[in-house]
Amino acid sequence: MLDRLAISMRASHVLAILLLAAALCLAALGAALDDSFYLRLGTEALIFAGLALSVDLLLGYSGALSLGQALYFGIGAYVSALTLMTVPSFWLAMAAAGLATLVAATIGGLIANRVRGVYFALITFGMAQVVAKVVYNTRELGASDGMIGIPVVQIQFGPFAISAGNPVGFFLIVLAIIMGLYGLSAYLLETPFGRVLTALKANERRVPFLGYSVWRARMAVYVFAGLVAGLSGALYPVLRGFVSPELMFFATSGNAVISVILGGVGTLIGAIYGAVLLVILKSIIGSWTEHHLIVIGLLFMLCVMFLPKGLVGFSRPWIERRIVRVPSQEVTASAVSPAIAKSRSAS
Amino acid sequence: MSPIDYLQFVLAPQILNGLTLGVAVVLVALGLTIIFGMLDVINMSHGEFYAVGAYAALALGAAGIGFWFLLVLVPILMIPLGMAAERLLIRPVFDSKDRHVTTLLVTFGLGLIVEDVLKVIFGANTQRPPTPIPGATEWFGILVPNYRLFLLAVGAAIIGGVAYVVYRTRLGAMVRAAAFDRHMAASLGVPVSIVYAGTFAFGVALAGLAGVLLAPIYSVFPTMGRDFILLAFSVVIVGGMGSIWGCVFAGLLLTQVQALASLVISPIWTDPIVFGTMVVFLMVRPQGLFGRLGHA
Repeated sequence: MLDRLAISMRASHVLAILLLAAALCLAALGAALDDSFYLRLGTEALIFAGLALSVDLLLGYSGALSLGQALYFGIGAYVSALTLMTVPSFWLAMAAAGLATLVAATIGGLIANRVRGVYFALITFGMAQVVAKVVYNTRELGASDGMIGIPVVQIQFGPFAISAGNPVGFFLIVLAIIMGLYGLSAYLLETPFGRVLTALKANERRVPFLGYSVWRARMAVYVFAGLVAGLSGALYPVLRGFVSPELMFFATSGNAVISVILGGVGTLIGAIYGAVLLVILKSIIGSWTEHHLIVIGLLFMLCVMFLPKGLVGFSRPWIERRIVRVPSQEVTASAVSPAIAKSRSAS
Repeated sequence: MSPIDYLQFVLAPQILNGLTLGVAVVLVALGLTIIFGMLDVINMSHGEFYAVGAYAALALGAAGIGFWFLLVLVPILMIPLGMAAERLLIRPVFDSKDRHVTTLLVTFGLGLIVEDVLKVIFGANTQRPPTPIPGATEWFGILVPNYRLFLLAVGAAIIGGVAYVVYRTRLGAMVRAAAFDRHMAASLGVPVSIVYAGTFAFGVALAGLAGVLLAPIYSVFPTMGRDFILLAFSVVIVGGMGSIWGCVFAGLLLTQVQALASLVISPIWTDPIVFGTMVVFLMVRPQGLFGRLGHA
């Protein structure tokens, strides 16, 4: 039998498949029309979707608002850029960025998880500010200009290789990685560990009574979220060929939070939809006025006040109802009815 | 350079600059800390209210209204703005399950909008109103701009006035009572709803006043609040969220650290020091140096 969480997670998967289909259509269309602008925009949206996903893991599942998730995104981007400039290997860059963010998120988690609630939001904000300022002032890392001239790499898949400069190819790779991160997050939340997180958000004080360590769960999800942000960030220099300290600034963290709220807190796929929506909104509104923040800010506030589950929360119940109807019939057909049939035949 | 010369020409001006910045930060942080102490709300749009005050002073000053009148007029104009923000944005989500996060997010959205509105109305360029009090006074061989002296005096007067109202008047007692236990205060006849709206508006008015006072020194631009608010947040956290004396103490301390550290190390490293202090405080003593408003 499916419980509420499993049903809503399945509804998220349906939405994820829809998104995947839409993305594949975009890729096919882009390839047919030989477009690179929209494909690169889409790739960037997916990269920032990874950052939003990591914010949602924290906010939606452990209930901790991080205002500095761009820290790990930036660390991933810088480490990836530095690796690519020495050894032009995509997978090595991803591995190095993953390792670096793992270490950074462990340190950051030890600091941030000493406090909770609003103090957690402020401490993550403060940590990101400190590191961003240090990077901003370090000449070896390009200071305020960032680092440019990151080579275009060949991404190896066994015998095959795709150039990162190929818009369609790289879009598909980023799509696969981000959806992979989504799938991994969803899987993790289905495990007993994920249930501890859900319990944590529902009532933190009762979790220890059931024998689970609150700190350990919070720490684990923090490190995992940092890793997700770092791996997404590692893709950025491969796409754009440069990194700048802006990637760590509050504006980047803030955009991720906006994406999560627009898409729907605690739905995972909502974060990805939100990030894509944000990029679309920015480019549509940006085409007739540069003051897109008014519209985005307004939408954001309306979502916080009236749509606490965001756009996905708005549409998901409909999908959930369809899911519940179909499998419950299957359940009755396969498992329950033979028993009933047997008892009936006996009587 | 002899030690006396060093003291006179390097150390003293630096301390004085730090003091001016300190008073400025305390003025902004004061509203932030009162709003937090009273309503339990982190006002992320506080920096934008500060910018609104500065722009109001700029626009009204250009329309021919004198500086002295502006000092009174702008905060009064900010009050309805603060009241409206509290009623329309904070109140509807005030009783939601996760008040801290929700109100933080709402005010963050408000800040985005206000900043862009300022850009639409006034443009993105930096502007600077004329200094209302020109000239400088010589003190022990150092030239001190008169306006900075005025700022120090007015800042001290405002801080003293706020502390007097909060700690020594009947109104302040009502505010503190409502902060401590709003249901008990309500049952004793404190109009809690009005007190909340009034406190928020008061904090916003303080930010506006800070905008008027600081515009001639730090220039006016749409994102002016963003840079300043980070420092104000650090001050509020180190001092203790909701503590008035903590805010004053931490404000002066952090800006002096910043001013004096920039003599020894490169000035670009002072920001990480200030934010690092904030992070350390959050780790070790999240309640800050002093207790909360209404709790001490």
